[in-house]
Amino acid sequence: MARDSRGARELTAPTQLEEIRATVERAGRGAGGLRIAGRGSWLAAGGPVDAGETLSLSAYSGIVDYVPGDLTITVRAGTPLSAIAGVTREHGQWLPLDPAGSPDGTIGATVSTGSYGPLATAFGRPRDQVLGLEFVSGSGEIITVGSRVVKNVAGFDLVRLLVGSWGTLGVITQITLRLRARSEVERTAAIAAPARGQKLAAALSAVRAARLAPLALELLSPALSQRLGLGDATLLLARFGGNEDSVSAQMNELASLGEAVPVDDQCWEKLRAVDGQATGTVRFSTPLTDLPLVWDALGGDGIDGQELMRHATVMRGIVRCMLNGSGSPVAAIARAPGSARLIAERLDRVSWSALAPSPVSDPISNRVKQAFDPSNVLNPGIFGVAW
Amino acid sequence: MTVEAAPSHPAGGDFTSDRGLARTLAEIVGDKHVLARQSQLLVYNSDGLPGYRRQPSLAVFPGTRDEVIEVVRALHEVGAPFVPRGAGTGLSGGALADGIVLLGLNRLKRIISIDVENRTATVEPGVVNLNLNRALGPKGLLYAPDPSSQAACTIGGNVAENAGGPHCLKYGVTLNHILAVTVVLPDGSVVTLGDEVSDHAGYDLVGSFVGSEGCFGVAIEITVRLTKAPESVRTMLADFLTIDGGARATSAIVASGMVPAALEFLDGPTTRVVESSIYAAGYPTDAEAILLIELDGLLDGIDLDVERVKRICMEAGARNVRVARDDAERLKLWQGRKKAFGAMGRLAPHLVVQDAVVPRTKIPEILAAIHGISGKYGVLVCNIFHAGDGNLHPNIPYNADDADQSERVHKAMGEIMAVCIAAGGTITGEHGVGLDKIGYMEKIFTPNSLAAMCRLRDVFDPDRRINPGKVVPVHSCREWRATPAGRAN
Repeated sequence: MARDSRGARELTAPTQLEEIRATVERAGRGAGGLRIAGRGSWLAAGGPVDAGETLSLSAYSGIVDYVPGDLTITVRAGTPLSAIAGVTREHGQWLPLDPAGSPDGTIGATVSTGSYGPLATAFGRPRDQVLGLEFVSGSGEIITVGSRVVKNVAGFDLVRLLVGSWGTLGVITQITLRLRARSEVERTAAIAAPARGQKLAAALSAVRAARLAPLALELLSPALSQRLGLGDATLLLARFGGNEDSVSAQMNELASLGEAVPVDDQCWEKLRAVDGQATGTVRFSTPLTDLPLVWDALGGDGIDGQELMRHATVMRGIVRCMLNGSGSPVAAIARAPGSARLIAERLDRVSWSALAPSPVSDPISNRVKQAFDPSNVLNPGIFGVAW
Repeated sequence: MTVEAAPSHPAGGDFTSDRGLARTLAEIVGDKHVLARQSQLLVYNSDGLPGYRRQPSLAVFPGTRDEVIEVVRALHEVGAPFVPRGAGTGLSGGALADGIVLLGLNRLKRIISIDVENRTATVEPGVVNLNLNRALGPKGLLYAPDPSSQAACTIGGNVAENAGGPHCLKYGVTLNHILAVTVVLPDGSVVTLGDEVSDHAGYDLVGSFVGSEGCFGVAIEITVRLTKAPESVRTMLADFLTIDGGARATSAIVASGMVPAALEFLDGPTTRVVESSIYAAGYPTDAEAILLIELDGLLDGIDLDVERVKRICMEAGARNVRVARDDAERLKLWQGRKKAFGAMGRLAPHLVVQDAVVPRTKIPEILAAIHGISGKYGVLVCNIFHAGDGNLHPNIPYNADDADQSERVHKAMGEIMAVCIAAGGTITGEHGVGLDKIGYMEKIFTPNSLAAMCRLRDVFDPDRRINPGKVVPVHSCREWRATPAGRAN
C-alpha cells in the first residue's frame, strides 16, 4: 500500500477483480470510506471526498474483447482512452468520446463521471454509448448489467443508473461500448462568430438551420481561440465527416455563413488539453434558445477572458467554462441564468460549497444510494451531501 | 427533479370488494370509463402477442392527468395491484393484468406543446407515435423511434418498453430521445424526472425509468427530443439467392463507415408470405434473402453512398439492387416490411415472436442454426429483422390449439434462444421481457444482477404493486429480500 498522489490517503491499486471486491467489502466493515480513482489526474473532481483510502482502478486495465466486425469493445475500467483509440484505429474505427483532459484518462473515470466532449454533437454522451457494465456495489457484490450487443432491453436499466453516478453506487470494473467506423473523409474549418447578444443568437440559429450534419460544432471564446492559435475572435469550429461530396458541400455551406478558414484537425486535441491548465471546470446544460444568454452572462463586462475561457456545444446546449483562479470567475458562474443547469466538474472546496447545490438530495436519489451503497462506503461527500 | 407529495389522508371509500373499487373509480373517471363485466374485459385479455390470455378484474380509463393521479391514489389506499397499459400493441405480454386492475392511458392523447426552436415536444402518454410525427411533419421535425406498430402504439408504451424500430440503427432507441418524464408513483406521489435540458448532475433517473416496463410508475407527461427531418431519403432493395449473401452484405455495410437509417433483412419464407398478402410490396419471391436499406441525410453525397452500398451488395453476391424511384415506391417497399407480422396471420392463427440480439458477425451462423432447428422440429420460421443492429425476429406461425404443434414450436424457440445466448447475445432488443421472456432472465443474468434489478424496482415501488410478476422472476426478488441486508432503511 502506498500514499495517493496528494499524499492524503492510503492507495490500493488492485490488478484482480476479486481484490477490488474485497477492498470494497473491507472498507464497508471499517468506517473510512473509499475514494474511487482512475489515473488520479482528476482527483479534484466532484465535491470534496472524505475517505481514508483511495481505490485506484489504474492497474486494472486492458482490452477484454474486441471483434471489429461487431463494432463493440469490452475493456477493463482502468484502460486509458488512448489505448482504446490505438487499438480501434488499426481497424478504421473509434470510440467517439472526447472528454476534456488527457487522452490517457481512463474509460472508467469517463463513464463514471458521464464526461464527454464536442463529439457528443453527433455521437451522444456516455449514456448513449455504454452497452454493458460490471461493477462492485457498496455491499461488495459483483453485478453485471446490460449486454455486449448494440441493442438490449432485458431487465431494468442499471447501466444508465451507474453511468454518471460518480462512483457513488458501485465501482465500475468493466465496460462494453459501442464503436463507430471512421468516415471516408474528415475536415475541420472555422468561421468568425458575433461575440454576444442578438447577433450571436441569430448566428447560432442560422447554423442550426443550415444544411449541416457536423460531427462537432463548438463556439469558442476569444481567449480560447487564442490559446489554440486561431486568432483572437469568437469562433465557430466545425468538424465534418462523410464522403467527399458531403464534406465539400458542408464546407461550402459553412462558408456561406461567414468567412471559413480550414483548420488542422489537431485543434480538437489541443482543445482537450487546455483543460489541464485550468484550476476548475464547470459546464451548463441549457435549452438551445437560452445558450446565448448563458454565454453572455459568463463573458460579461469585467470578466477576464483569460480567467474564464468558454466553449459551447452548439447543437446540444452545453456551455463549458475553464476557470483560472477562484475569485471573479466563480462569481460570474453564480450569475448564470436560472434555466441553465450547473454541472460542477472540478472545483476547489470553497467554490464547490458556494456554487453547487447537491444534485441528489431528492428522496428517490436517496433511496437509490441506500439500495446500492447502504453503508456509504463509496466516494462519500462527492455529491455534496452527507453521503 | 421535483417532488409533489401524496396527501397524507386520501379520500375514503368502500374498497371492500372489486365492486366497491369499481364504484370508487367510477366516481373519479365517470361510469362509462370503468369496465367490470367479464364480457367487456375480454378485449383486454391479450396484447400484440396472441399467445397469452390474462383477464383483468376491472379496467379503468382516466381522461386527464389529475384523474390518473386520483385513480392511482385510490388503488394505493386499498393496496390494489395494477397494470398500466397504452395501446396494447406490445409483444411481450407486459401489459396483461391477471385478475387485477388494468389502468388504460390511451385517453390521454394530447400533444401539450411543440417547441420548434429547442427541438422538444411534451405529450401525454396516450399520444400515438404516428400522430406525433404527423403533427411534427409540417415543421420539418420528427420523433425518431419508429416501432413497426407506430400507427397504433403510444409514446407512453414506447417509454415503458424502450421501443426501437427500423430507423433506430442511425437515430437510437427511445432512451436516446427522452428528456423528462412526469411519473405517478404507485403510492400516488408525483415526481418529475429530468427537464427540458439534456444533461444534469446526479443520477440518470430518466434513463432508469425508460424501459422499466410499467414496473416503476405511470408516466403522465413525457418530454421528447426532436430530430431535424432529413432533406433526402433513398430506399433500396437488394435481393440474394442465399441467406449468407445477405448476411455478408449487412456486415460490409456496417463496417463501411456509412450509417444507414435502416438496414432490414427478410428471408425467403417472410417475403413469400408478404407477397401473397394484401401488403405485397413487389419483393422477389424466389430470393432467399432481401435487404431493405435506407440512406438519409443531406442531399449532397447521398448518391455516392447509394453507389457504394450497391457495390457492396453486388460484391456480396446480390442478384439485383433496386433504388425506389419515388415516395410511392418507397412507401410500398416499407409497407411490406412493417406489415409482415400481420401478413403472417394468413398462415396460422398464432405467432411466436422472438427478439434476440446477437453480435453482428454471428448473424450468418445463427441464421444457419435457426434453419437447422426449424427442420428438426418441422416448424416454419420466418426471419425478419433489424440486421444492422443484429436484432433478430425469428417468428413461427402456428396453431396453439394443436398440442403437438405447440410443443414443437415451444421447443424450437427455446433452442433458438439458447443459440443466440451462447453466441453472446441478449434475449430482447426492443420488445421487453414482460411475461414472455421472464423464463430466460436467469440464463443471461446472475442472481446478484437480478437482485440488483429488484432493488432498483423497490426504489420506485417498494410494495411491488405495479405490474407485479413481470420482468424479473419473483423468486429472484424474494431471495434478495430474504438476505439480512436486503431492506436498507
